Amino acid sequence: MSAGAVACLLLADSRFPAGSYAHSLGLEQAVSEGLGVNGVAPFIGARLRLVAQPEAALSVAARRAAQAGAAALAALDDEHAARCPSPILRDVARRLGSQLLRSAATAWPSTTIDRYRVDSTMTPRPVALGVVGAAAGLSDIEVAMVALYDDAATVAGAALKLLGLDPAQTAHWLAELAPRIGSLAREVADDLRPVAQQAAPAAVGLELAAARHADRRERLFVS
Amino acid sequence: MRIGVGGPVGSGKSSLIAALCRELAGEFALGVVTNDIYTTEDAEFLRSTGVLAAERIVAVQTGCCPHTAIRDDITINLEAVEELEADQGPLELVLVESGGDNLTAVFSPALADVQIFVIDVAGGDDIPRKGGPGIARADLLVINKTDLAPYVGSDVDRMLGDAAARRGNLPVLALSLVAPPHARPVADWIGDQLSAFARHGHLHSSAIGAPDPHHDHPHAHSH
Repeated sequence: MSAGAVACLLLADSRFPAGSYAHSLGLEQAVSEGLGVNGVAPFIGARLRLVAQPEAALSVAARRAAQAGAAALAALDDEHAARCPSPILRDVARRLGSQLLRSAATAWPSTTIDRYRVDSTMTPRPVALGVVGAAAGLSDIEVAMVALYDDAATVAGAALKLLGLDPAQTAHWLAELAPRIGSLAREVADDLRPVAQQAAPAAVGLELAAARHADRRERLFVS
Repeated sequence: MRIGVGGPVGSGKSSLIAALCRELAGEFALGVVTNDIYTTEDAEFLRSTGVLAAERIVAVQTGCCPHTAIRDDITINLEAVEELEADQGPLELVLVESGGDNLTAVFSPALADVQIFVIDVAGGDDIPRKGGPGIARADLLVINKTDLAPYVGSDVDRMLGDAAARRGNLPVLALSLVAPPHARPVADWIGDQLSAFARHGHLHSSAIGAPDPHHDHPHAHSH
């Protein structure tokens, strides 16, 4: 097994300190608006298609661009902003990216990470993940897999706190998604077009729900 | 300097912090980060007391994991402290209040230079005997609400004795915030920590594993 694959496990491990445990990625608002236990797996599936896949494409592009310097990564920061009209979700992405980079800078000391932390004011998580992936020695498909799996697992973890659920059940949902995550990761890694030319579906419902969530007084999760 | 304030739900962490702000805000540039479990209630309570400018108090949400946010994955709190320092700084003292937690919760030395653990007489006078990392190793243990002891059948002397047995030479303060000297003894302890911090730029936390960067040179002062 390659060192990159082990680093891939480390990054996907919820024990890696990157702050995602405080996020439900929209599930909390969906649950408060009526989504039940049976809706969680479809919610994760919809996120994979509408959010996680295009973000994984950004991560892979950032992994490829990480050595190319500040301008290439800044262009990807802009691509993320263009795909994420909600200022609330852009801020969430900035924080999650910044937290990931902070821990990764200690875990995998590297000028690639240090330079990006200095150069970028936005540090959107998808781009940050690609930069970290480059420093940690991940391949394109490994970066894509972490991006896709982490999105699904973050929602599943939040579901345990929001709904009465058997923890083995959420693990089952993730296990059932494994073939889909695997094939999506392959698709993302094999796409050699610049991200600007790749499809960027819009999760308008999630963008609008994020604004309602941010306005709520009582919430467990940041997003 | 950053001080972590932890302890079980309802032991009086927020009230102690409000009282400390009252004592210390005139002397030091001060900020507070609260870790709310469900709402921004603690931060709102502090702001409502008017003891500190509202912008000096920030709340972070921890997704049901208050212990994670101070120990296992502190990235959210580190970001909050640094943003507060950047916006309001330079700050001489930042108090980080943990969400109410159980007896096993302690701050990572990477988040708090020293930590105060707050318990109260109404939680049961067997708590110091039960022990745990907070009771045994916090740099200061506060036994709060001593005024209530007669009404809840708690024996403060027994609590102090049990705490001393657990803690060796580490200090314990019995406190009532409704009668003089209020929070003054804790404020004095913090003052001592700040002068030690000012003398050599860091402290010797009693936390296991806390960095102790200047033990490579001899020194004669006491901490």
